[in-house]
Amino acid sequence: MTDILLHRPNFVAFIILFLLGMYIMTVYPNLVKKLIGMYLMQTSIILFFITLAVKTNSTIPILLPSTTALNPDMYANPLPHVLMLTAIVVGVSTLGVSLAMVIALYREYHTLEEDQILEKMQ
Amino acid sequence: MTSSLPGFLFAIPFFAAVLTPVVGYNNPKLCRSIALGALLLLSVVSLWALSEVVSSGPLSHQFGGWAPPIGIEWVVDGLSGLMMVAISLVSLIVLIHAGPLVEKELAGREVPFYALALLLVAALGGMVCAGDLFNLFVFLEVGSLASYVLVGVVGGRSLLSAFRYLILGTIGASLYLLGVGYLYAETGTLNMADLAVRLPEVLDSRAVLTGLLFIVLGLAIKMGLFPLHGWLPDAYTYAPDSSTPLLTSVVTKVPLYALVRILFWVFGIETVSHHIPVLVVLGWLGAVAAVVGAFVALSQENFKRMLAYSSVSSMGLFVLGFSLGTRTGFAGGLFYVLADTLMKAALFGVAGAAIYQCGAKTISELAQLRQHMPWVLAALIVGALSMVGIPPTAGFFGKWHLIVGALEAEKYFAVVAILASSMLTAAYFFRMFQRVWAEPLPSSEPHVLETPFPIRLSLGLLTFGIIALGLGSDLVMGIIFESAIPKGF
Repeated sequence: MTDILLHRPNFVAFIILFLLGMYIMTVYPNLVKKLIGMYLMQTSIILFFITLAVKTNSTIPILLPSTTALNPDMYANPLPHVLMLTAIVVGVSTLGVSLAMVIALYREYHTLEEDQILEKMQ
Repeated sequence: MTSSLPGFLFAIPFFAAVLTPVVGYNNPKLCRSIALGALLLLSVVSLWALSEVVSSGPLSHQFGGWAPPIGIEWVVDGLSGLMMVAISLVSLIVLIHAGPLVEKELAGREVPFYALALLLVAALGGMVCAGDLFNLFVFLEVGSLASYVLVGVVGGRSLLSAFRYLILGTIGASLYLLGVGYLYAETGTLNMADLAVRLPEVLDSRAVLTGLLFIVLGLAIKMGLFPLHGWLPDAYTYAPDSSTPLLTSVVTKVPLYALVRILFWVFGIETVSHHIPVLVVLGWLGAVAAVVGAFVALSQENFKRMLAYSSVSSMGLFVLGFSLGTRTGFAGGLFYVLADTLMKAALFGVAGAAIYQCGAKTISELAQLRQHMPWVLAALIVGALSMVGIPPTAGFFGKWHLIVGALEAEKYFAVVAILASSMLTAAYFFRMFQRVWAEPLPSSEPHVLETPFPIRLSLGLLTFGIIALGLGSDLVMGIIFESAIPKGF
């Protein structure tokens, strides 16, 4: 168990960030805090994917004219990075839409607390 | 030409969605024609693709000249062909219906409405055609973003329901992405066909087990499977009437499609029923959802809310059907999905028409339908009969195959659940009709006319579709049995 904790710090950080994000999203009534939790959770998944691509003593996966023999062990795995570029775009769009909703809710109810908004709806 | 058909299934609505704001900037009136034209074209192309699939096997399109599994592959087989036909035809019909409602409810915002609706259809098409797990995630999120906005666009209560939908939907999508990450870490591939080859060698790994569980959990949130349906009733009740038929008929069905694709095509029936028995869990959840959803619907006063809980109940029936593990059960589940897209579009269409014409939101106020809107009332009756499962409507044949499949699998709890949910469905529709006929009509009511032509046309088409799908069930079941059943059944 301690082995895992010592040798896989990225995965430990991922688990802590993911659970923290989910906790903030579900427990806090403030809408902006919920979004902070949401972004934290999405970012933790990016950390997870990038960690999958890491190799010790490897370089960036670009073929140079001078490259002769191809040894896959020399290069970091580029695919998770590319996937995460797309996931970042998806995350940013979600954040944009949700912030627009928060602004519209604030204009209508003049508060960001979910429980107060629910009270005003009654 | 035919090999690039899968690309067109996405490209047609997507380019129309991009074109809409450009053209609509000067001529907002044109947007509706663009949207309907694009969806008509899409329906024709989907039917063409389905007929190609039935006659000569699955279609596959590779982007950028790289062969799969390295390149990105789009596949249309029997299952995705049928889903695509249902999505395109139903979205065409509900957008015809939406016309007068958008003018009244979202005046001045026609352009974004049609652009978002087209974007939603494009994303659903992308999910249905995607041949790899990551593209599925991207389109899942594109479609979800469009639906959050379509739910929240009128402000007030709908905005808060849309926000909650967004929070839960994002948790679902993140769990799905995490599950895909686990599978990628174990197998090194994302292509579905390639995964199906490589997974059997690593089934004992805990990463595969965890990945599958995250994927199932994430998609279950997205499709509103009980007990993860928390966002669904509020979102469907308060969403604008113009967009509810589109949202309820197709949006939750496509995550269900993704789940079915991953369980039966990527993992395979053998794995999900023996090695990692998620089908057992899904079967029980489906049975409970079918009964509890219908039971809660029984006590609702708001018509749209009652239908929303009936969606929870239907989702339970689909999941129950797919988890039976027999050919008939699978085919019955898929047939019921197709039937339910029509039924939910028709019933939420009736709800929208009733609110549009006389502001009738509760089931008691629906009594006004019987005074001046015989066409809408007829659609309501056919939709309700089909939900209960009375022949010759489509709902009957779906439930019939579900029950036969459950008997073949000797899962008697499933038979009991399907029958109990049908009884409860009959009870809440009976309660509604009893109110519709017993309620005295307000005598001083200003003269209410029959709904505008587009609404009547679309409700007529949906009603016709429900009966036609019932009468033509042999043909559709034939296509399902021939080309939409996964290997191993």
